[in-house]
Amino acid sequence: MKILVADDSRVMRQIVVRTLRQAGFEDHEIVEAPDGAEAKSKVDSEKPDLVLSDWNMPNMSGIELLHALRAGGNTVPFAFVTSECSDEMIAKAEAGGALFLISKPFTAETFRERLSDILG
Amino acid sequence: MTNDLSTAVEVDLDMIAEQVWSAFLNGDNEEETIFAAPDTGAHTDLAASVAMVGAYEGHLVVSCSHKASRDVASVLFAMEPDEVTPDDVGDALGELANVLGGNVKSVLPSPSQLSLPRVSATAHERWPGTVEVCRTVVRWRDEAYVVSLLSGGQSASNNTQGA
Repeated sequence: MKILVADDSRVMRQIVVRTLRQAGFEDHEIVEAPDGAEAKSKVDSEKPDLVLSDWNMPNMSGIELLHALRAGGNTVPFAFVTSECSDEMIAKAEAGGALFLISKPFTAETFRERLSDILG
Repeated sequence: MTNDLSTAVEVDLDMIAEQVWSAFLNGDNEEETIFAAPDTGAHTDLAASVAMVGAYEGHLVVSCSHKASRDVASVLFAMEPDEVTPDDVGDALGELANVLGGNVKSVLPSPSQLSLPRVSATAHERWPGTVEVCRTVVRWRDEAYVVSLLSGGQSASNNTQGA
């Protein structure tokens, strides 16, 4: 499967990718994007099977990315990896069509629990 | 909007710092990290901050020395300290503030939004009109990391979108 990791922080993209490997998902192809706008382009061009997106990014936020994808009819499985998971944000994410939120800091165990059903 | 300072804000910075260090910075053979370490007024060179705007107005700031910032970048990027570039330091320290700030924001009055992180020299950084609500010191690899929650003041950034 192909996974798009969107985060404006290079180090956080690297941590997410490293944690995917540590969680046992090392055989999947990874595509990266530094903001929501580029993530939108890469969803169109790369056609990932899963999007793991930060919420707070320049140019286009994660929730704006999700809304843009769904408005365009794209139903790619989408989850947030974000530094806070308030009830308000969870409600916005779910209303927008996201699967769930993984809060930072996370562990490999968290990734296994949340992503096993999707990534196998 | 300014905060009502008579409203008690309860933020367990020690617990939040411990969660972040445990997940992202402490390795398997890590020497003991000291949370709620004595505040010895250690000199700091860099400050990474995120601003909170909305129901709570303030800043979460993490300050440390140049060496400490390189240590953080080295571990987070999984590279040797002497390979770390200033860009790496800015990215890593900014993300540390972002993760700490996001978790702090989760226990503060809502709704509010979090800015993108900003990293600058401590000597140049000011937060006018703010008061410190609480602070903690993490001692990791013989370096001090001062984590402060400030209340009030003007927004540090217009780029606020949530965490």
